[in-house]
Parts: sequence; structure tokens; C-alpha cells
Amino acid sequence: MVKAIEINNLKYSYDEQPLFNDFNLNIEAGQWVALVGHNGSGKSTLAKLILGLLVADEGQIIVFDEQLSIESVHRVRAKIGMVFQNPDNQFVGATVADDVAFGLENTKVDSSDMPQKIDAALTVVGMQDFKDREPHTLSGGQKQRVALASVLALQPKIIILDEATAMLDPDGRMTVMETLQQLKQQFGQNLTLITITHDMDEATLADRVVVINDGRKILDGTPAKVFSQRRVLHDNGLELPFANELAYQLDKKPEDYMDERELIQWLSTLNK
Amino acid sequence: MNNIMIGRFVPGDSWIHRLDPRTKMIGTFIFIFVMLWANSWATYAWSAAFVFAMIRLTKQPFKLYWDGLKPIFWLILFTIILQLFFTPGEPVLFQAGPLKITVPGIINAIYVMIRFVLIILMSTILTLTTAPTSIANALESLLKPLKKLHVPVAELALMLSIALRFVPLLMDETQKIMNAQKSRGMSFSTGGPIKRARAIVPLLIPLFVGALQRALDLANAMEVRGFQDATQRTKYRILSYGSEDSKAFAGLFIFSVLFIAIKFFIKY
Ligand SMILES: Nc1ncnc2c1ncn2[C@@H]1O[C@H](COP(=O)(O)OP(=O)(O)O)[C@@H](O)[C@H]1O
Ligand SMILES: [Mg+2]
Repeated sequence: MVKAIEINNLKYSYDEQPLFNDFNLNIEAGQWVALVGHNGSGKSTLAKLILGLLVADEGQIIVFDEQLSIESVHRVRAKIGMVFQNPDNQFVGATVADDVAFGLENTKVDSSDMPQKIDAALTVVGMQDFKDREPHTLSGGQKQRVALASVLALQPKIIILDEATAMLDPDGRMTVMETLQQLKQQFGQNLTLITITHDMDEATLADRVVVINDGRKILDGTPAKVFSQRRVLHDNGLELPFANELAYQLDKKPEDYMDERELIQWLSTLNK
Repeated sequence: MNNIMIGRFVPGDSWIHRLDPRTKMIGTFIFIFVMLWANSWATYAWSAAFVFAMIRLTKQPFKLYWDGLKPIFWLILFTIILQLFFTPGEPVLFQAGPLKITVPGIINAIYVMIRFVLIILMSTILTLTTAPTSIANALESLLKPLKKLHVPVAELALMLSIALRFVPLLMDETQKIMNAQKSRGMSFSTGGPIKRARAIVPLLIPLFVGALQRALDLANAMEVRGFQDATQRTKYRILSYGSEDSKAFAGLFIFSVLFIAIKFFIKY
């Protein structure tokens, strides 16, 4: 097994407020891992630590055999792409093409190679017809797909999406998730995907779900295994994916006789 | 808010679109410089004809240019009124205290209006046909000599392109915050100047906080995509000066020569 990311004994605190204390996590290359946890559980902090945007107080972060340090941070970053939550705040370029070009310009790709690379990356996310569009003429979902293309153009081995669908409408959310599934199919073992989310339905798409709270790992396993732990999830401020929750609630059906009206009433309390 | 046209780029394939952005930038400056010497109907008419010819060459509907003029309508009106009431001379048509309307005043007001409109139209041609990134690249290239004086030209150009990109976003945000506060009973358009100025404060604070958050997020996004040093980057939009650019300068030269001829030989 090739390890994409190895985190050993990680410690990190924000101004004396400890968040991670002896945190360990290994992520296998080619896996799709969903990192879930309620608001403030430390997911974004973990992502920023992996990218060297924040510096750990103690412990090691190793990305494809390279340990993160001040000296290696740019080489490590070159292996990882990241899509953030707010679609507007990560759109650097004035147009879609300029935004994809931004990363290529930073990594000193030849000007003559750029158009072809930009087209290729935009085609993967289905945005090739929007090359000259400005960000304020795009929907949130389209902007996030452009962000994904910007990351893909740099050919990372790992992509981290930090609540990339949280600010989108259901439609945008769906197109982004579909794009991710298709990406995973296309790149297979060559792409490690980490989706940070508190939408449990999104987490079901992953190979592995890791639940964290207060900087601690609470659950870790296949979606089937993790979502069988309804109690633990609830205690950590999380809900089951819709389908699981429905199955669970239907299983709890009342013993007493119900007429039609009562049955409808009972069913409607399930959909809170 | 989407009809704000300042700095807006409309992609296209016209001759003007394809010119080197440096040519367009210098050309705009030369035109404005020449036009500032206009002092007669004939010279203004010649300048206007040139601008309208350029507009035709961009192959964009005139409505886009009209939209570009709208935001500065009040500024134009203000200047016209100043000219109208405070130009001395004879004959006086109307007088009330220190305010008087004179025939030279009316002529001056019209001249100033034409001048204003032509300058805005010419700048709109530049921004409408040039991607903001190209404008920033052109500026970086033109200011290159300042690098010797340790002016961080590359950084400034990048800052400019990012600033241009965030203008529509911040406008939108201002509108949202204003609406949110209006819905809570705040009024931005009633009361004396002091009351109005104070109404701006609760608008500015959330705007600044929001802008700072955006800046921090943007910095992260830039770093993650490999940004290290503005001077060590390749360019997607390369600048290339070609024969078409020489033709553009030749055209501008002919315009200027005829302008001077008209200025000295036609007395209207
Ligand atoms: N810049 C910061 N300064 C101080 N505390 C922070 C900062 N960013 C996050 N925190 C705190 O760290 C904890 C984890 O935050 P975060 O990693 O953003 O959580 P998540 O992404 O899971 O919602 C929260 O309690 C949050 O208040
Ligand atoms: Mg977060």
C-alpha cells in the first residue's frame, strides 16, 4: 500500500487553544476519503496543516514520502490541489481561462503550452464553452468546477475539497459531485480525493469515511460501517445520510393501530 | 449592479480586440492628449468622428458604450453647470447675483461635455476590448523601466488585475449590505449631510470585514496554486506587437496631423 498522506502525532493549537493533540491519520493513494465533522471540529484546520498554510506545533505530515517542512513546502503543495468553500474568494483570474492559467503561470508553464492545458482541464469539468466568461456571470456550481479545473491543470496527485459544495444550490451541488465521481473514474488509482463535508449524503460516495470532532478521530471505516453507528454520529453533532435515516425511522414504526390520517401524521414527523 | 460597465471586458474578435494592449493603451493616451487641444466646433467634430469610427471597429453594440456613460452622468452634469454659470464674458443672457449665463458659457459647457464624453468613450473602447489581465500585463510592460528604481512593477500589475476582478463583487456586496440595512429601517438618502455621513459607517464596517475575509481566502487560494513571487511567472496572455499595431499608430498619426490642420485652418 502506497501512502498518500501520513500524519503522525500531530499537535496544533490556535492561540493557546489546543485543537489537535496527538492526531494520527493515514490515507492510502487512490482512495476517496470523506472527512466529516460538525462546524468547528477542525476539518479546515487539518487541510491547511497538510498544505502548509498553517504550521504544526509538533508531529509529522508526510505527503508521498516527502515530509512537510519550511524547506519542502512548495514541493509538497505541488502534489496537492485544493478547492475551498467560497466560490468567489478563490477565483483569481478575470475570466475562466485566466483563472485556470493562474496556477500554470506560477509554475512557469510555457505560454505556448497553456491554451491546450487550459482547454484540457476545462473539458474534464465540462466548462470548455465558458473560457471567456467573467466570474460574476457564472453560477456557484460553475465557479467551483472552474476552481476544480484550475487545480486539475496542475496535475496534482491529491485533491482536497473543503466544503466545496456548502455554498451551492442543490443543482450546483449535484453537478460538482457528478464531476468528482467522473474524475475518480477517469484517474482511478492516480488520484487521491479528500472531500471535507458535513453533508452526509456526499460522504456516502467515498471509499472511506473519517469522522472527527474536537481534533479527535471518532469513527473511521467504510460508509456502511460508519453509518451503522447512528448513536455515535448523533453524539458528535452529525446526522445519518437521508436514506439511512429514513430506513432507521421506518424501522421504529409504532406498534399501535393507526388510521390513515394518523399514519400520514406519523410519516410527516419523520421528515423534520 | 451588473450593468456597471467600468472596466468590463466583452470578448470578441474585432480588429481592435486583436491589437496589442500596449498599443491600445498608448493610443488612448495620445488621442486624449491631442483632443485636449481642441478649441472649435470643427476640431471637436473631427475628434468625435474618430471616436465613432473606433467604436464601429470594435463591432460592439452602441448600447454597451451608452451604459458606460451612465454612471458618470452626474459628474458630467455638475461640470456642465459649473461651466454654464461661472464662465465670464459677453453677451450675458441671464443674470442672478453672481450667477450669469453667457454665450461663451454655453459654448464652453457644450465643449466640456463633448470632451468628457469622448474621453469616457475612448477609455471604454480600451476596457471593453481588452481582458483585464492584458491591461495589467500591458501596464507591467510599459512601466518596466521603473523596475530599475526598485518599483515592484510586477506586483503592482498583479494587484491591479485582482482589484479589477473584485470590483463587481464588492459593488454587489455593498448593494446587499445596503438592502439589508434599509430593510431594518436605515435610510441612506434622507437627513442632513452629517446624518447621511453617519449612515455610511455601518455600511463600511461589514464591507471592510468582508473584504478582509476575501483577501485572506484569496491569499490561501493563490498560495495553494503555487504562487510565490510575482516576478517569477510566465504569462498566459502574451503581448505581441505586430504590423497591425503599426497600422493603428499610423492611423492615429494621420488623425493628429489632420487635427492640427483643422485647428489652424478652419475657423469654426
Ligand atoms: N484563525 C483562527 N484563529 C483562532 N481560532 C480558529 C481559527 N480558525 C479556526 N479556529 C477555531 O478552530 C476550531 C476548528 O475550526 P475549523 O478547522 O475551521 O473547523 P471546521 O472546518 O471543521 O468547521 C474552531 O473551534 C474554530 O473556532
Ligand atoms: Mg471548515
